[in-house]
Amino acid sequence: MSEGIWRERPRVRRFGAINGRGLATFYRREVHRGFKIWGITLAAPSIRALLFAGVFALVVGASGKVVLGMPFLEFLVPGLIAVAILERTFESAAFSMVYDKTEGIFGDLATAPLTPAELVLAYAGSSVTGGLIVGTVVWAVLLPFGGQVPVAPFTLAYFAIAGALIIALFSQIAGLWAPKWDYLAGVQTFIFLPFVFLSGVFFSLDQLPAALQPWARANPVFYIVDGVRFGITGRGDADPLIGVIVTMGCIGVLAAISYRLFAIGYRVKS
Amino acid sequence: MSEQSREKGPVLSGPPLARTIGAVNWRGLWTLYVREVTRFYKVGTQTLAAPVVTTLLFFVIFNVALGGDARVIGDLSFAVFLAPGLIMMSILQNSFANTSSSILVSKVQGNIVDVLMPPLSPAELTFGFVAGGVTRGVLVGLATGAAMWVFVDLQIHHPVAILFHAVAASTMLSLLGLVGGIWAEKFDHIAAMTNFVVVPLSFLSGTFYSIGRLPEGWQDVARFNPFFYAIDGFRYGFIDQLDSALWLSVTVMIVINAALFALVYRLFATGYKLKS
Repeated sequence: MSEGIWRERPRVRRFGAINGRGLATFYRREVHRGFKIWGITLAAPSIRALLFAGVFALVVGASGKVVLGMPFLEFLVPGLIAVAILERTFESAAFSMVYDKTEGIFGDLATAPLTPAELVLAYAGSSVTGGLIVGTVVWAVLLPFGGQVPVAPFTLAYFAIAGALIIALFSQIAGLWAPKWDYLAGVQTFIFLPFVFLSGVFFSLDQLPAALQPWARANPVFYIVDGVRFGITGRGDADPLIGVIVTMGCIGVLAAISYRLFAIGYRVKS
Repeated sequence: MSEQSREKGPVLSGPPLARTIGAVNWRGLWTLYVREVTRFYKVGTQTLAAPVVTTLLFFVIFNVALGGDARVIGDLSFAVFLAPGLIMMSILQNSFANTSSSILVSKVQGNIVDVLMPPLSPAELTFGFVAGGVTRGVLVGLATGAAMWVFVDLQIHHPVAILFHAVAASTMLSLLGLVGGIWAEKFDHIAAMTNFVVVPLSFLSGTFYSIGRLPEGWQDVARFNPFFYAIDGFRYGFIDQLDSALWLSVTVMIVINAALFALVYRLFATGYKLKS
């Protein structure tokens, strides 16, 4: 009698509005994946930030250059922290997706009982977590070299999280789109890096030629970096309120795109 | 023997002749070289265009951040000082990337045996790989140089010094890349070597500043960095000034390359982490 082998008959598993367990599993997997090689994920950005700080300190030297009313290093350090957060965030979801594609296991996403919204949320959550961990480490490392305790912690928290979220969503879109590593590396070099490097990490927008300033202000990354800088030093180029509006807008648009791509199974179901 | 008579003859008129290879297996060396060049040329956007973009970004941020043309090192504008250093930095990083990734990818994919089996001596292997790395380094240098030309008034004072240091520096990093690629077992290892050795040495080599600006003690430390001589000698070709001396930078390049060559030769000869 076949009834005998079941201690309890299998039932259809029921999910509530949200598959909480699936979400948590997926989130843990993604976070764990990034930090398995913590020697690279944490130490490499710290060293890079230190190198930038060191080189700029040397070149600027004792000239006493002042930007936005603060010594140059004090101006630079929040930018370097922001870059570390954004780079880590970009490298998380997209890299993990393309890796899964080359391994041929990306299709598993289509069969896991996770809704598109849950996938967006799990990927974004893990990317933001990774970015914030790296940001905290880099902040601590730079503390003796021109860093400081945040003046406006809540502003800092908002812009760090919102900024990481924007790049996390962008990273998902890039990861879904890119069929191979080359494509992803292309996005990183030709889109991500220029947006980040020209965002006012290393200079105040006033230092740009007047003709370029409106363009620089159209770069959403500028508002992220500027907001992080405002949170740490209390000074910034732009009004933080505008930054909040811009970042909110970007999050909305990118989340909608990413949701749509997951929903139609773009390059997942073919 | 004409084509026709060969067809009519017996299947084997004697034992097959052993292929005789002279002192140097030129055809094998050339094949390895072509393979190495094709490897990076196929993904030229990544290996040639990407370094140009990255280098230009560095150029822009350093110039804007540090006050543009107003800033002067010696009697030079900062831009003219910076440009050769950045060109050299891209040469260094790309030569390293070429050889290290070639060896490591072959190891990970398991086709390294295809490089070790052919009748190539350790010296020929080394030359073949290094020639590929140097080709990429020099091409990237030319591309970034051409892109910089648009923004900076670069002058060539000593073409021989430029050529020598470009080739010597990319040889040095290609050899270092071979050491790294042979030693590494995973991509993390190469990433670690890039992040913890190559990038710090190139950032702290005087690309961005004249080492005269360093505090006394650190100047001596900086002089132990071989990348410093590569950049210093290369820049001399453009600005006619050096931090050290020309004979010294040439000597350092030659000695280091000889030592690294001996090391790589030994690694290939013993099959360290390659044949097990």
